[in-house]
This record gives sequence, structure tokens and C-alpha cells, in this order.
Amino acid sequence: MSVPNSKPDLDESINVAEAHGRIIREAAATAREKRIADNGREPVSLWLVVVIGISGVVAGGILGNGGAWFDYQALFKPGYVRDAAPGGDDSGPKPKDAIAAYSTRGAKLYSAKCAGCHGPDAKGDGANYPSLAGSKRVLGNTDALAMVILNGIQGPTSSGKTYGAGIMPPQGAGMGAEDLAGLMTYIRNGFGNTAGDVVTVDMAKSALDISGKRAKAGQPATDAEVMAEHDKALPGEPLDPATMLNPVTLQPATE
Amino acid sequence: MSSTAQSIQDAKLRADIDRSLRHPVMFFMTSGAAWLAVSIILGLISSAKVHSPEFLSGFGWLTYGRVFPAHIAALVYGWGFQAAFGVMIWLMARLSRQECKSAGIILAAGHVWNFAVSIGLLGILGGAGTGVPWMEFPTFIWPVLLVTYFVIVVWSFIQFRVRPSGYVYISQWYIMAAMVWFPWIFLTANLLVFVFQGHPVMAAGIAAWFKSGLIFLFFTPVALAASYYLAPKVTGRPIFSYTLAKLGFWSLAIIAPWAGMQKLTGAPIPFFLPYLGAAATALLFIPALAAGVNILRTTLASPEAVEQSPSLRFSVAGIIGLLVFGFAGLFLNLPGSSLKLTQFSLSGYGFEILALYSFFSFIMFGAIYFIVPRITRREWLSRRLISMHFFFSVYGIIAVSVVALFGGLMQGIGQEEWIQPWINAATRTYPYAIFITIAWAFILFSNVFFFLHLTLMWLRLGRRSSHPTLLVSHHGGSSPHGAEGDIDNAGPGSADAHAH
Amino acid sequence: MSLRHFIIGLSVSFGLAWLSVVVIPFVKMRNLAPIALNAEEPDSGPYFPKRAGRVANGAEIYASNGCYNCHTQVVRPTYAGNDLFRADWGGLKADPERGDTRRETNAYDFLGEKFAHIGVSRVGPDLSNVGRRVEAIYSPENPSRWLYAHLFNPRYEADREKSTCPSFRFMFDEKEVGTGLSDDAVTFSDGRSPGSDTTEFVPNSDAKALVSYLLSMKKDQPVPASIDFAPKKAEEK
Repeated sequence: MSVPNSKPDLDESINVAEAHGRIIREAAATAREKRIADNGREPVSLWLVVVIGISGVVAGGILGNGGAWFDYQALFKPGYVRDAAPGGDDSGPKPKDAIAAYSTRGAKLYSAKCAGCHGPDAKGDGANYPSLAGSKRVLGNTDALAMVILNGIQGPTSSGKTYGAGIMPPQGAGMGAEDLAGLMTYIRNGFGNTAGDVVTVDMAKSALDISGKRAKAGQPATDAEVMAEHDKALPGEPLDPATMLNPVTLQPATE
Repeated sequence: MSSTAQSIQDAKLRADIDRSLRHPVMFFMTSGAAWLAVSIILGLISSAKVHSPEFLSGFGWLTYGRVFPAHIAALVYGWGFQAAFGVMIWLMARLSRQECKSAGIILAAGHVWNFAVSIGLLGILGGAGTGVPWMEFPTFIWPVLLVTYFVIVVWSFIQFRVRPSGYVYISQWYIMAAMVWFPWIFLTANLLVFVFQGHPVMAAGIAAWFKSGLIFLFFTPVALAASYYLAPKVTGRPIFSYTLAKLGFWSLAIIAPWAGMQKLTGAPIPFFLPYLGAAATALLFIPALAAGVNILRTTLASPEAVEQSPSLRFSVAGIIGLLVFGFAGLFLNLPGSSLKLTQFSLSGYGFEILALYSFFSFIMFGAIYFIVPRITRREWLSRRLISMHFFFSVYGIIAVSVVALFGGLMQGIGQEEWIQPWINAATRTYPYAIFITIAWAFILFSNVFFFLHLTLMWLRLGRRSSHPTLLVSHHGGSSPHGAEGDIDNAGPGSADAHAH
Repeated sequence: MSLRHFIIGLSVSFGLAWLSVVVIPFVKMRNLAPIALNAEEPDSGPYFPKRAGRVANGAEIYASNGCYNCHTQVVRPTYAGNDLFRADWGGLKADPERGDTRRETNAYDFLGEKFAHIGVSRVGPDLSNVGRRVEAIYSPENPSRWLYAHLFNPRYEADREKSTCPSFRFMFDEKEVGTGLSDDAVTFSDGRSPGSDTTEFVPNSDAKALVSYLLSMKKDQPVPASIDFAPKKAEEK
């Protein structure tokens, strides 16, 4: 790799200037390098020692969690007993009876969508918005009620009276089966109403289906249409209102 | 007269060493840079799939579970190791003042390494991955890598042994240590996970120990060796404190082998092991701080050098990355709070990328920008290409690291909210994942420039000049090196060439 | 510092950790003593949770497709995380027969596998008890149907439309429908199946192995008293 004529040791036969020029020309980067000077003897500053000390303390704390060192037999923390879920003796929300479970869901939806017109106490205002408390529609057959909720209604209501401009806007947009079931169960069993049964998720699914298949799908329903074609209970297995359910998933909780 | 003669002698020896190593080192640098680009493309694809799972979906070889391990494998075994090899053999040769007589063998071994990594990567993408994190290559690959590794580094070991007696540089200790640590860790992990049948959970623990060992006991010492060389060399100043350097080295040596098992907190292995790992990882802030303070105080004593020299600027950025990485190690491993939150989150990836890119890769870039002109005897072509590489990489890596660390914390908080359905925790990562994809795009962009630049140098198309390519251009020739960027048509060394 | 001192220092510092943290636990855990199922009855046999299904093959598919990058297989004790508070990760909170069956992962839960896929991160839920969840909650009448549907298109069902699980369509073959849909053809919960009017998607051997492996993931069997960490009932105190 070396140039054939170079000698490892410098002696008089090497022309320094010529060698100098050759190095500069060919290996400029190497030639201009600085030398690594001797290492400094600056003292280690105090704040560095302090920070190192703090890291040591933190690490010591971490190690403290490790129990007995080098205890290869203990695969779990010695003396470990499972903690109960914080904030309650069950994990997850407490189970409720079916009507309460569905109503929890329905209440949220009611205050978001319905209370604005029908009022937070569901009594309406007598002239523009009908009362849901004691309403024949609400306490009647579930298919009819579902059609009105999903599609709105035009003209007179189940009491024969026309409220306000005579139109309720449809509420079905974006409403899933669980939401519809919760809402219907809520209004049928709250505000003084006592239907005493649960509109299940399956029933609500059927309702969504039926609503989509209406002859006048997309348009608001009328009292006449609803009484003629939808005055029946929604198809689906009835659910014993005393069943305990998980209010979040609406699934049975055996607890 | 004799001191000038001495320095000629010295410069000549250095030039000869550089010339002897030109082929293997250039190969490792360029090939490594190519692997880096491949790895970043794979990283971009996998990051995109985290927030848009339908991106390129339906192909077996591009499914996230194969592309992501391939990204890590290319980053570690393709780029990481090859950059480390290039830097290690050059540094050891220079510091031991020995020419390399086995350049051909090293080059051949480097090609074998490349071939093995390529086969391994195709194996992962083709569905033959082993499923062990960071050890996903099909099991016939690791013995090839180990043998190749020995063939590459044994000459450096020999060079150290026959060095002229006298001072041993701190960089040499770090390189020697890395050369000893890596095969010990690699052989242990591969034997105990793939060859000897142990308990399946302990095998997972050993794989976690391997990952940590590779980061702290191979990539970290190689990067520190490079920065301990570059800082005094480029600035001309001594290392700030030798005591601190020794403290940093030995604290790393003593603490790092215990780290790694914190990934298995809560799993059925001996109870103290994960907490020992967490404590060790947190304590590794000490060597990071020691080395970081030492090198920063050395370099910041001459800030104009940091401003001008690309190698120094990348190195300083890398050292800052080291400090952030060391602090993250402390912060992420607190069992009462962050450990359970970040154990299975994006933070782990952020931590690894901090180590591999913002620390190791930046210092490797610095070393490459220093070494390549010396071995090719050409200067870098364009200040702007270097600047683009620097700034886009910095933006990108700050984004990836910070977002992944913070996003992982948010993700972990969501995961621990057990009352909420799982989808709440899963969707928390969306914004962070998108950010990370964009950041990888920046980094890819920067590395395309780097790879281009490096290839041009490899093809000997660099500038023939005695003036270095500095990051700050001096108009009017006020720089001691004269007007930068000129091509000496009369040949370098004519008229006003300076000598040191 | 001479080379000799350096090598000694390095070997001691590394070797000590290597022995304590890697070699010794490896050897000890390799020889994990079996625990009697019932400490009071010495003849009750060892605690050996059997796993039905193609565990070895399925684990290979799980590994080579990188599922461990997003799913974990460890239910951590309560001092290390909140996994056990979830209703269906460590077991079932409300199993019809046994009540609350949830428990931590123990060292015997990975029998039959060479490498425990503890997992790298949790983008998706923990899978230690995915078999239990599928059979008890998601689709008791046809558990593998749910898993094939999920693997084929994780985002089809409304409650998982934001899932980022990759689609493993490449593990299914499109075939002409015979007289009716095959038993294991991919069908979703609404009864629809992908493919055209005349084709169906049938899992290939990789998918079958993987689903068999996933269905074997039931890690909530009763455990011997020495690794049973449930709080003691009031009357036993």
C-alpha cells in the first residue's frame, strides 16, 4: 500500500519539502488534521455529582420494588394478593335491572335530542310540542312509536290535536339500534309512564328495518299511516324487566 | 525542522492508513447508507399501516407484522452494524497507527454480511421470521453473521495488540469493549433462545436482554468512541475531563449488562429481574450524562468549529440525542407510574429510535463526513446537500422521538383505563402515528440526499481540493482555509495552499 | 490501564450480570418443578394446563406474521398493571359456571410453545384468553367463524370499524361455491360473505392453524393454591 520508495524512518535522503508537497496534494484532508491533544484535567463539577446522586436515588427506588434480590424461586411479588378494582368491588359499571339499564342509555339520548322540544320533563308546552307523559302513542304499540321517532310525524298526533306547525322532524339519522331501544324504554317507563316492559336491541333492529321498508320511506309518517300499518308490537323476544344487565353493553350480567 | 518532519511523517502514516482501508470502509459506509434508506422506506410503510391499515393491504409480504420487523432488522443489521464496522476499523487503525493489511478479506466479509442480511430480510418478508423481537432472521442466518463479524473485527483487535506503546485513547477502550461485548451477547442470546430449549417466558426475557445489550453495549460504545475521537480532533482542544471519561466508560460497563428485562414486568419470570432491568436502564443516565457533558464541554469551547464542521455538528446533535435518550431511560422506567403505562406502548419504539437514530446514527453521520474525505482524498461536493441532510434529519428525528415517547404515554394511560372498551385506547394513537409517518418521510428525504452524496464520493466524483466543505460559507476568503468550494484547476497545493 | 486489567474488568462486570440475569435464571426456569394441582391430595397429579388445538403450528404462523408486535399474551398482576380489572382479559368476569375466572398469567401457561409471545406493544387487546372470549361471548355457536371473519376483514363489524389490525386476506383462497357455502367459509355476523355470487373465501392451512392456536388461548383454568392470588373469602380469614 505504501509508495515503493518511502522509508519508514525519516532520514536525510527524504526531501522534506517534496514529501510535504506530495502529502498536501494528495491527502489534503489528512494533512490538515489537528492532533489529538492530551486529555484535560478539569475537575468533575459539583452539579454533575448531584445529578448523578439523584439518578442513583431514583434507581434505588426502582430497585426497592423488586423485593428480595436474586430470589429466583419467586415468580410473583412475595405476599401478592390480587387487588380489587379501584372505585368499586366490581370492575366495570354495576349491573342494573333491564329497564334501568336501557333507560340509562335512553336518558342521555333524550336530553340530547328530545328535551329541546318536548321539555326535560317530557310535558311539552301544550301548544307546540305534545307531552310524552301519558301519551297514547308512547304507551301504545312499539312499532308505531318507533316509526314516529325515526321518521317524525306530520299532522295530528295520537291525541288528534295538531301541535305547532304540525311537523316533527325525523330523529332517525345516526340512531343505532341500542340507542333507539334505550330511548323507547326510557320514555315508556319514565315521566310517570309505566309501560313496564323493555324495548330490546333486537326489537329496535327490527324497527330500523321496518322503517326503511316503509312505502313512504324518507318522508315523515302520519297518524293515519302509523295506525293503519304499524299499530303492533315490534317483533322480538320479550325480555324480563327484572333481568340484570350491564348498562354499558346491555348484555346480561350474572352477578 | 524535526517537528515539521515529524508531522510530515505522521501525516504520511495517516494517509497510508487511510489508503489501506479505503475499500472496506467506503463499502461499509455506502452499503450501510443504502440499507438505511431501505429501512426508512420500510419504516414509512409500517408507520402508515398503523393509522391506515388498508394501505397496501392484502399482500402477505407487506403485512404490518412482517414489514415492521423488516424495518428494524434493516436498521440494526443493515445500517447499524455496517456503519459501526466502517467506523470501528478505521478508528482502531488510526489510533493504533497500523495500516490495514487485510482490506480484501474485510471487504469480502462485508459482502457476505450484506448477503446474509438480504436473505434474512427476504425471509422475514416471505413469512419465515422467527417471531423473536430483534432476532427475526431465519435461524440459519445468525451463525453466518457471527463468523463474518469475527472476520471483520479480529484485525482491529490485532492492531490494538501491536500498537506502539504509549497512550491508549478512550476511543480505543470503547471499541475494544464493543468488540468483546457484542459476540458475547449475540452468542448467548441466540444459543439460549434458538438452540437450547429453556422456559418459553425466560426465552422472551433473554430476547429483551439482547435488545438492550445491543443498544447499550454495542451501538453506544461505538458511537461514543467516534465522538470521543471527533471532538478533540476537529476542535483541536483536549477532552474536557479524563476522569469523567473513565467514569462514563466504567459506569456503562457495570450497569448496562443488567438492563433489558423491564419489558417483561408482570410476566412469570423471577420477580426481581424486571425491576433490576428498570433500575439499570434508569441508571444508564449516568454514563450518558458523563459522556455527554464531557464531549459537549470539549466542543462548545470552540463554537465556531461546531458551526462550520459538518462532522462536529452531527456529533454534537448526536450527543444531545444521547442526553435525551439517557433521560428518557430514567423517565420511562418508574414502576409506580410510567413503567406500567409505557411497557406495551409506542414509547418503546420511540426509545429504540432515539437510541438508534438520534444518538447512534447522528454520530455515525458525523464520523462518515469526517472519514470519507480522508479515504477517498476528495472533499464533499456540496455544502447544501450536507445541510439538507442535517436539518431534515433533525426535524424528523425530534418529531419521531418526542411524538412516540409522549404518544406512548397517552396510549398507556388509555390502556390502563379498564372501564372503557379497548377501542378507546387503540384509537388514541392515531394522531401520533400520523405524525410519525410524516416524520419518517422527512428522514427519508434527508437520507436520500445523504446516500446520493455518499455514492458520488464513492465514485470518486468528490471535489479535488485542499479546502474542506464547511457548513458555513465564507465569502471573501476570510476563512483560514481560503475561499471554500473552489476547484483548484492548477492542482491543489499550488500557489497559496496552506499547511498545518 | 493495561489491556489485562481492562479485559479482567470487562469480563467481571459483564460476566457477573450475565450469570445473574441470564444464565442462572435460564437454568433454573428450565427445571421448573411441577406443582401439584391440589396440595392436600398428593395424588391429584401435577398442574398441567392442557391446550387443545394446533399450538405449535399456529404459534409459528403467529410469530412469522408478527402478531406479537401489536398483541400481548400476558395478563399482569395488579401491582404491574390494570389488566386484571378488565372483564374479559384474564378470564371471564361472569362465567355461567364458575363465576369470576380471571387470573394472572403464570409460568405454566405457555406449555407447548418454544417462545412465549409476551408481545411488544398493545395496539390490539391482549390475547391470553381470546379463545374464551370468542367461545363464550362473540360467537358461541361457531367460534372459528368469528376469527376467520376477523382475520379476513377486521374492520367489517360496526363495533370494530376503527380497528387497525391488518387484513389477512392472503391466508384465504377464493373458491367456487359448491352446493352451499363451505363450513369454514368466511361469513360475517350479518350473514353476508365476501366474494361474488359464485365464490367464497376459504381459509388455507395457515389460517386454520392460526385460528386453532387462537382458540386454544384459554388461560383461566383453576390453579393450585400456591399460585392462586385471589383475595381470600371472608369466612376463611
